[in-house]
Amino acid sequence: MAYSQDTIVSYKKRVLESVEIDLLASYYSQDGDNAAVTGGIGTEELTDLASSIVVSIPLNDDAILKIDANVSAYTSASSSNVSPFDSGQPADPFVADSGASANDLWLNGVVSYSHSSDDRNNIWGANVSVSQEYDYSSFGFGGNYSYLLNQKNTELSIRANVFLDSWKIIYPFELRAGQGAPNPEDYFDPSAGLETNKRNSYALGFGFSQIVSKKAQGSLSLDLVQQEGLLSTPFQRVFFKDRNAIIIGNGFQLADDIERLPATRFKIAIGGRLNYYINEMFVLRSYLRYYQDNWGITSYTASLEVPIKLGDYFTLYPSYRYYTQTKADYFYKANDALSTDAFYTSDYDLSSFNAGEFGFGVSYTDIFTKVKLLGYGLKSINAKASYYNRSSSLSYFMVSGGLTFVQD
Amino acid sequence: MKKLIVLVIALGFLSSCAVVKEYEKVNINDPDMALGDKTIKRFETSAQAYREAASGANGGKTGGGCGCN
Repeated sequence: MAYSQDTIVSYKKRVLESVEIDLLASYYSQDGDNAAVTGGIGTEELTDLASSIVVSIPLNDDAILKIDANVSAYTSASSSNVSPFDSGQPADPFVADSGASANDLWLNGVVSYSHSSDDRNNIWGANVSVSQEYDYSSFGFGGNYSYLLNQKNTELSIRANVFLDSWKIIYPFELRAGQGAPNPEDYFDPSAGLETNKRNSYALGFGFSQIVSKKAQGSLSLDLVQQEGLLSTPFQRVFFKDRNAIIIGNGFQLADDIERLPATRFKIAIGGRLNYYINEMFVLRSYLRYYQDNWGITSYTASLEVPIKLGDYFTLYPSYRYYTQTKADYFYKANDALSTDAFYTSDYDLSSFNAGEFGFGVSYTDIFTKVKLLGYGLKSINAKASYYNRSSSLSYFMVSGGLTFVQD
Repeated sequence: MKKLIVLVIALGFLSSCAVVKEYEKVNINDPDMALGDKTIKRFETSAQAYREAASGANGGKTGGGCGCN
């Protein structure tokens, strides 16, 4: 609050009134028959349990510090088959092994700071992030700036982020020196051609949002990303058409090579949102995205969500998302790549496919925070379930939930 | 080039809208009208970034920070 000379009182609303805490968790279960670890043939069964805590702290009237901590624990049948001999059972691309690579933990933390000008028309922020899993680590930092104009009807923004990532290189068991090659004279060093274990990503984003009418607003965003370094996954197998297949156990084919991909990739994504307030009960939320990269992939995404308000407290969120992409120039089905090709992968995430995702969410919101816990009031409860089905045989189901508390 | 022209036209169309005053933003300020995703959607966005080649322009990861595409 500020007092001017003629005693007229003016108020500056705090950008965040009090500390807010979000507690979030999710369960994810996936299956499919085209695991990249086993060269495009094998189980993609994977389960993941993730949780997050996000704490937003108002440092003063103008600034917010946000701490975002995440843990994700997963069990992956295909990752277990990086080394399919640990269990002592016959190797099988459709059966999980019991080795150490079957499980992993992803830890991530992001600290961000944002500051708004007195008139709230200029907002700048900075962030730093770290993440770690057994074979992958990342350090990131970035900044952003937003400018509101036209009586806060229009917002222009720019953001930049850098990620400096690093792999601990792990090869399929049979390509490890002196361990797995059935014919020692056939052994070759898979590290040939891998010049680095680093992966750097440089992202630049631009945003434009506009209130279109009293009931509609939209936004456009443009992201440009340049990636350099080890962009392939070193434990993903590839089988060549011009080599004799070596099969052991229950149909487990040994690698002819690891996945090889170019050391640079440029991505461009353009997204648009349009939200329309139909009436007190319905809101329409739409999203479209066009994506292209220089690996030959073009994709389109469209989604629609229709929040349905049931009284003052409850809202339902039915949604549908459609996604389609063309394949990367370097994608081959199992046993289709040639040993003379420069680049190849049998990772179906880089194949041509369509996917549909149905979602249904529910939220409870109490702006008066009547339920109290340890000095915090419960502001909202959110839950969502979604089912994703891809034309390439993969599907997943996930449920997620979240609680938001505000300090009294 | 065509896409760029469409983008510029769209920007011009949106920015030519009549100004909505603060006291007229009751519906615009509805939480479900927010242009960003709800916090709970982060898990879904992350799964999509792993399982699809495309990323970015959705408030989620644009690349980097994970062993995903």
